[in-house]
Amino acid sequence: MELRMLPRLEKDIILFKKILVANRGEIAVRIIKACQEMSIPTVAVYSEVDRNSLHVQMADEAVCIGPAAAIESYLNMERIIQVAHQTGAEAIHPGYGFLAENSDFSRRCEEEKIVFIGPNSRALELVGDKVRSRQTMEKAGIPIIPGMKRIAKDFSELEAEAKKISYPVMIKASGGGGGKGMRIVSNPGELKPSLEAGMREAKSAFGDESVYLEKYIEEPRHVEFQGLADNHGNVVHLFERECSIQRRHQKIVEETPSQALDTELRFRMGETAKKVLQVSGYNNAGTVEFLLDKDKNFYFLEVNARLQVEHPVTELTTGVDLVHQQILIASGEKLPFKQEDLKQRGHAIECRIYAEDPRSNFLPSSGKILFIKEPKGPGVRHDCGIYSGCDVPIYYDPILAKLIVWAENRRMACQRMLRALEDYVILGIKTTIDFLKDVVSHPQFEAGKTTTHFIKQYFDGWEGKEKTEENLRLALIASAFDSLNQTSAGKGGAAVQKEVSSPWQTLGRWRLGGK
Amino acid sequence: MDFEFLVDSTLHKIFLEKKENVFIVSDGEKTFEADIRFISANAVSILIEGRSHLVYIAREKDKKYFYLDGQQFIVQEPSQERESFQAGEEKTKDAELLVKAPMPGKVIKINVSEKEEVRKNQTLAIVEAMKMENEIKSSIEGYVKKIFVSAGDLVDSERPLIELSLKK
Repeated sequence: MELRMLPRLEKDIILFKKILVANRGEIAVRIIKACQEMSIPTVAVYSEVDRNSLHVQMADEAVCIGPAAAIESYLNMERIIQVAHQTGAEAIHPGYGFLAENSDFSRRCEEEKIVFIGPNSRALELVGDKVRSRQTMEKAGIPIIPGMKRIAKDFSELEAEAKKISYPVMIKASGGGGGKGMRIVSNPGELKPSLEAGMREAKSAFGDESVYLEKYIEEPRHVEFQGLADNHGNVVHLFERECSIQRRHQKIVEETPSQALDTELRFRMGETAKKVLQVSGYNNAGTVEFLLDKDKNFYFLEVNARLQVEHPVTELTTGVDLVHQQILIASGEKLPFKQEDLKQRGHAIECRIYAEDPRSNFLPSSGKILFIKEPKGPGVRHDCGIYSGCDVPIYYDPILAKLIVWAENRRMACQRMLRALEDYVILGIKTTIDFLKDVVSHPQFEAGKTTTHFIKQYFDGWEGKEKTEENLRLALIASAFDSLNQTSAGKGGAAVQKEVSSPWQTLGRWRLGGK
Repeated sequence: MDFEFLVDSTLHKIFLEKKENVFIVSDGEKTFEADIRFISANAVSILIEGRSHLVYIAREKDKKYFYLDGQQFIVQEPSQERESFQAGEEKTKDAELLVKAPMPGKVIKINVSEKEEVRKNQTLAIVEAMKMENEIKSSIEGYVKKIFVSAGDLVDSERPLIELSLKK
């Protein structure tokens, strides 16, 4: 199989003269790199606190679009469109988050004759509306989670409904989420007491006691399929990603292939994903999310109408650069491959590196990154939006970087990820690196037994390993050595001082114990 | 030379002295030789009895970070920390009464008003950072004495938000 990844080199394709990247952080950097590889000049936009950010440094042009608050900068559609016109950018890549799935923005771009590198506004609107897309999918024969579509009048109706859905069922509050009013009912005898308790809880939480029933998905896995659709009706999928390792519904570790899929199930889910994109009139890159239960039944959840955070695992196992493809599709190109050309090779895992303190309930940790040592080595990819000395502002998503590894098989990929995490140092702010080490080396993870309950089940109250006496002694030795160099530097400098530039010379004096 | 450091708020001593090409190290129990050198401004290589260790360093105004083998040690100057230790005793008394921001962020909402009675675990305020809302809860039963901030304010870590008073 030969993939023609960069047709520009082979035939004349009119690509964009310039692309504006309407995002920040690691994803803006990722997109700028893709543009550079395709020889397309880039425009970065940034908020007032992001002047020193990496994406600003990397782009060919950079324009400040407003104050720190995203609503006044990265979400300011008219300002971004104005900058696109002013700089002559023909297309806008929205990345993920911010304006990526905003159909108003997509429509505004269409009106302004700027190409939005993403789906058309109609498709975006459809998949963005949970209720409408659920109805559309149900009509098209796509499996959705069975459940009631309205509030029941009385208990007998609920009883009949539960029987129809089949046990176990879940009671959910109509008034809101967050687990309030939620009850799992595994047999008919439990239904009445659970309903009463659920309604009481819903009443006190939301002031509304109405509840509805939904099929309870046991040991659910989150499995999604990456799709690509060109503007000429061609749709392919690039296989699955398993994203079951989540915390507070936020994915933290993703991988492909999923351990829960065999060839037959992969084929069926892949075909279903393609159908979802087709019935939505979708184009460009998109991801179809499913829940997969323990009996291997899958249910459509939603379409993520954007480039996903976890897209690199797909890139490493298929050899397709998804950002290049997004740009080619947006410029009117046909997909350069058919479904049968695409194969998965090896195994890839991604860990998201967040600015959060896993030892104190994942509190956000902003501030200055004093030092970063990026992990390197065969099969290691690091998509990163930070550098030594940069500031992590309080205003945006806490994702700092993504560490992705590829290896011939899953076992080796787990090993490689653990080594890479051990080789990864970020000092100055708290990150999730240590936590992730324990996640990827957990026996249940190594065994591929990953469900969306994994973190709650095994990592509730995680505190990490205790620090060892030996490490403490080494830290003290290093600290004393550092202080010693600092004092001798003051007296004219030791040999080592001449070799190394010395930021510590400018620091305040450290009191020494001895006189 | 003897050194004193506060590591994660506990006082530790170590002796380190250069002798020809190596260093003599003593931690009070053992004395041994170590080959220590800077690899870069942020990395120290230590060889002890042929075993190789790499310690990463980062320096901030009043503290240094040391990292090795997946573990981070925050080292501070003893004198500074002693002062805050003394203040610390008073602080413990008042810690529950003075509610502070747990991290830098933006005050989204103040859920109580001055003189209002509060229950234990009642949400007093919501502070947001990095798109995450954090509920600040009361650890005591009492009254709201004073509110120092209002919705929309940017706060630093440890900034007092609300002062409570105990129920009589």
